[in-house]
Amino acid sequence: MKRININKDFILFFGLPVFLILIYFINPSQLFVTGNETSFIAIFISCLTFEFFIRKAKSGENFYMRPIPAMQAMEEAVGRATEMGSSVLFVPGISGLDEIDTISGVIILGHVAGMVAEYEADLHVPCCVPIVMEAAKESCKEAYLKKGRPDLYNDSKIHYVTDDQFAYAAGVNGIMLREKPAAVFYQGKFYAESLLLAETGSSVGAIQIAGTGSSSQIPFFVTACDYVLIGEEFYAASAYLSGSPEMIGSIKGQDYVKLLCIIFIGLVVLLSFFNFVNITQLDISSFFKINIIN
Amino acid sequence: MFIKRQLAIVVMISMGFLALAGQFINSESLREFTDKDAPQWYMIIAGFTAFLGCLNLLQLHTTNVIRKQKNWQYSIFTLLGFLLMIFFGFIYNGSPADLGPHLKNEYSAFYWMYNYVYLPLSSTMFALLAFFVASASYRAFRIRNFEATLLLISGVLLMLGRVPIGALIPWWTVIVIYISILFALFASKIKNKKVFFFSYLGVNIFIIVLGFFLNWNINSPDFLSIPLIQEWIMAVPATAGSRAIMIGIALGVVAQSFRIITGRERSILGD
Repeated sequence: MKRININKDFILFFGLPVFLILIYFINPSQLFVTGNETSFIAIFISCLTFEFFIRKAKSGENFYMRPIPAMQAMEEAVGRATEMGSSVLFVPGISGLDEIDTISGVIILGHVAGMVAEYEADLHVPCCVPIVMEAAKESCKEAYLKKGRPDLYNDSKIHYVTDDQFAYAAGVNGIMLREKPAAVFYQGKFYAESLLLAETGSSVGAIQIAGTGSSSQIPFFVTACDYVLIGEEFYAASAYLSGSPEMIGSIKGQDYVKLLCIIFIGLVVLLSFFNFVNITQLDISSFFKINIIN
Repeated sequence: MFIKRQLAIVVMISMGFLALAGQFINSESLREFTDKDAPQWYMIIAGFTAFLGCLNLLQLHTTNVIRKQKNWQYSIFTLLGFLLMIFFGFIYNGSPADLGPHLKNEYSAFYWMYNYVYLPLSSTMFALLAFFVASASYRAFRIRNFEATLLLISGVLLMLGRVPIGALIPWWTVIVIYISILFALFASKIKNKKVFFFSYLGVNIFIIVLGFFLNWNINSPDFLSIPLIQEWIMAVPATAGSRAIMIGIALGVVAQSFRIITGRERSILGD
């Protein structure tokens, strides 16, 4: 029985990738887009690595997850809001559901709503995009239901403010100044309004936890917020908070892909040095240039 | 229940795979679907939810006013603004243009409201950013530890390098800045203030005199030019840091997308 499993895994994680990559390169009847080979290999290998570690986690292997202060502070922030009798404000960013950041933000909202339901605190979610409001309502309703407290769910607290960036910032700032929430979460896609929001939150003394994939807004959040989920931490948050082994396995896979990236970067640096001192004449960096957008 | 759960998951998974396949499979119709049709579907759905948003706004603020809930006075302004723009957009024109094109006619009431009420308010919010940047910078630049000190130094150099006066700063001033930073780092190690002061003075004089002997006043090296230092900070350490974050973000996006399109991440559906 075990032998069959090994063969299955061998086919899935070695045979299939080699076969597909070969097919992609041979490209029979122009079936595949030419010029996207590097992107295909990169995405394919990444996905296989995630799948491999998800299977390992499902089979019962324990993975060490380094503690991320921002995620540990989420429950603490909700607890603080409960003790102070104030509300928890969740800002899901200003983009629509076509952005992965917003999707991640709404997923995190589900976890935060679960904590709020457990602690019997108040949750307030002002939304900038109506479709996000609908998704947020659904996510929160289910989270309250799952915690056995559907009676605490208040539909009017997840509402639409406006589509306009600065009008939204003004609206949310107004809510912060009037309600003085004890905990503020900024999880989603943010632009120039990030600092307006975070500084106002800081001025009302709220514990602030931010998370975004907008690299240009991370410094503003780092300056004004107590905790920030930087880069991939933001996307891993939902998996980390869910605690399910298969989700944690995917994070482990992500770490290994990152290790692979580091090795490739080291290789490029080394070869560039060799090229510089005229030992080799191989421009490996051109191989790694992504050509998916054509 | 089937529509809310299983069907939603099936749609999510199939759409995810289709969008990914559109990047690699050489099919015109698939490409057409991922590049044009699917975004249009999203726009149509988003358009319908815009009505839901407006209804939600009206319902929430009308309830606030009727029940005189906390801070209900603010809701009056929201409702007034909302209804006034609807009135100027759909009922009252005020310009020679027809209803519809009047939205872009400069004599219409709608255009006036947009130009003289909405835009100034929006600009005011944007302008507030300058003050928030100042207060955030003050907090970030407070010297608390080694990292904050580095941030302060690079911040000052960047600010000086980006303004015209930065290019006018002579090479010997930059040397004094460098030596001051160096002595500030070691200040806690030297207990005797006299020794500290004279060694600081001595090193400054020695390096400046050495600079004159090396003809730095005619042809100063790059590391003594503030605009060049600024360029180096932006091109090397800042780019390295931001690229590291970008790689992390890209990996996070791939992993999150993988979890979603394989149906493992179902929290978005409330599961």
